[in-house]
Amino acid sequence: MKAIVSVREAVKNYILGNVVVPALRGVTLDVVEGDFLAIAGPSGSGKTTLLNLIGCVDTPTSGTVEVAGKDTRQLSERELTDLRLHTIGFIFQSFNLVSVLTVFQNIELPLLLQRKLNGPERAQRVAALLERVGLREYGAHRPSELSGGQRQRVAIARALVTRPQLVLADEPTANLDSVTGAHILDLMRELNRTEKTTFIFSTHDQSVMAHANAVVRLADGKLVDRVTPAQAAAETGLPA
Amino acid sequence: MSSSKLFVDLTIAFRNLVQHRRRTLFLGAAIAAVTALLVLLNGLSTGVRETMIDTATTLSTGHVNVGGFYKVTAGQAAPVVTNYKKVLAVVQKTVPEMAFAVHRGRGWAKLVSDTGSLQAGITGIDIRSEPKFSSVLQLESGKLEDLAQPGTILLFDNQAEKLGVKVGDALTISAPTTRGTNNTIDVRIVAIAHSLGLLSTWNCFIPIESLRALYQINQDATGVIQIMLNRKDFDHIPAIAARLRQALDQAGYRIMEPDPRAFWMKFQSVSREDWTGQKLDVTNWEDEISFMTWTLKALEGISYVLIVILVAIIIIGIMNTMWIAIRERTREIGTLRAIGMHRREVLWMFLLESLMLGLLATIVGVLMGAAVAAGLNAAHVPVPTGLQFFLMSPHLHLAVHGSLMVRAIVIITFVTGAAAFYPSLKAARLRPVVAMSHFG
Repeated sequence: MKAIVSVREAVKNYILGNVVVPALRGVTLDVVEGDFLAIAGPSGSGKTTLLNLIGCVDTPTSGTVEVAGKDTRQLSERELTDLRLHTIGFIFQSFNLVSVLTVFQNIELPLLLQRKLNGPERAQRVAALLERVGLREYGAHRPSELSGGQRQRVAIARALVTRPQLVLADEPTANLDSVTGAHILDLMRELNRTEKTTFIFSTHDQSVMAHANAVVRLADGKLVDRVTPAQAAAETGLPA
Repeated sequence: MSSSKLFVDLTIAFRNLVQHRRRTLFLGAAIAAVTALLVLLNGLSTGVRETMIDTATTLSTGHVNVGGFYKVTAGQAAPVVTNYKKVLAVVQKTVPEMAFAVHRGRGWAKLVSDTGSLQAGITGIDIRSEPKFSSVLQLESGKLEDLAQPGTILLFDNQAEKLGVKVGDALTISAPTTRGTNNTIDVRIVAIAHSLGLLSTWNCFIPIESLRALYQINQDATGVIQIMLNRKDFDHIPAIAARLRQALDQAGYRIMEPDPRAFWMKFQSVSREDWTGQKLDVTNWEDEISFMTWTLKALEGISYVLIVILVAIIIIGIMNTMWIAIRERTREIGTLRAIGMHRREVLWMFLLESLMLGLLATIVGVLMGAAVAAGLNAAHVPVPTGLQFFLMSPHLHLAVHGSLMVRAIVIITFVTGAAAFYPSLKAARLRPVVAMSHFG
């Protein structure tokens, strides 16, 4: 299978005053198309930093990050933005919807930024996704009128509306109860299977890792190993 | 249900303004108040300017004038245009867009009554060919049309009071002729008009035949040809004056160099010049009342300073509000940048918000200003006597035209946009990874 993400010896250091704080210390990772990959590790292990590098919202201090065959360090700010717009979808822990827009408008926004589809085509695309995430009746609602689970489903619809090759989710269930979280992961998994979209999500929750087809474990900014969910569960003694 | 990008941009801008309605209302009210003040201050200076033009162009000048001096000897100048009908023909041919032209005699004389005397400018007019005269003058007593009879005079109330005369009384006018001897004529007061400020303190009107008799000048001589223009041509006055100079020069007249002073301020310098005969002088209304337009300039200067201060307050207010808004919405900026919004689109999003606020607030402000101006005009607010002297009107008059309202909306909206530009630019330049990790 072709690698959609290729990370080679990626180092990311943050400068805090005179202090250099290493967040990633030489991570190497390949993610193939159609993968449903969990990045696991405790807080401060570098999960979000790695997702930021893969998501082209940040660039490595050294090493390379290739997304869809493009080396992110070689791209300009505008090219990075275009790569995010056309290739990557984002799902955030805190949903990060635009509070003043309706559910429909929030989902439609990336399509408007792309300027590829006309009005009826956009409407059709958004309506189909609303149906898919079970929010057909909520298009005219504002995010503040929805529950946490509903908001995250809107965020998933927004991430998928441009039909990206890659969707990144930073702890997508962290702010949800376990039942809602499981529903959200089921939805992501279903979309991964049906749309062949690659998903990479970070978590430190064992039950969330269980949904993945592979788990990459990070500790102190280093990639520890790549295991199956069953192996990850076996080491912690929790059911996979 | 689908939206366009602009519609979504407008929705985001409008709903963000509504969401922070207290802040929006406060800032919007400040912008509206400044706009209303801008409209009122500009309306006041425009009103004064229009009153000044109307009054000055009735009492002492045309919008453009062809006057000049006739010198019998090098050292003796008289404000006379000889063979004025030929000059008038050139004027009529050169300025076809004029509303009308009149000719008037000019002089300076002593008015003597039984109980007093005063020095005054004497203007000789043909009242039958002065269509605008009656619309500006407000008569206290007497009849304007009686000024058509030779040997009559129109005074202003302050002059009549000083001389201790009323309509029907006689006055003697004494003046030096062009030949250097003194001459007198007796006149009867046929009308007394309400004062029109500075210009009416030293101006009175007699029939032009009487003025010719007083100064012993020919029937084909006058003091000045005053050209009255329509309002739409006011902006072209310098061009019309230049055109006239060229046409008169080509017609063989000697033309004086442009000198932006009233004709009576040129006596000394003209008398010192080594020439005799006729020279024509083309001036405009501002030249002829240049000794008093400082009031207008002072008013415009004060307005300008006030407006600069008020605009500075708006700029500070807008920038402050934008910084707060950007701080509050930093995570939103990070999210939008992450999902593919370009920097220029973030910049536009914030600019649009301030432009929308600016536009709505300035429209309200302009309407408020226009309403207050209309109210003040309708109330005929009296101007203190001292100010009447300069404003040439007994009542406050604010002229708020459509062009002024549009200009105020454009200027203040532009200022709000300009003030928001730097904070918006900073927002647009936020790195998405930094913006997304922002808390607070």
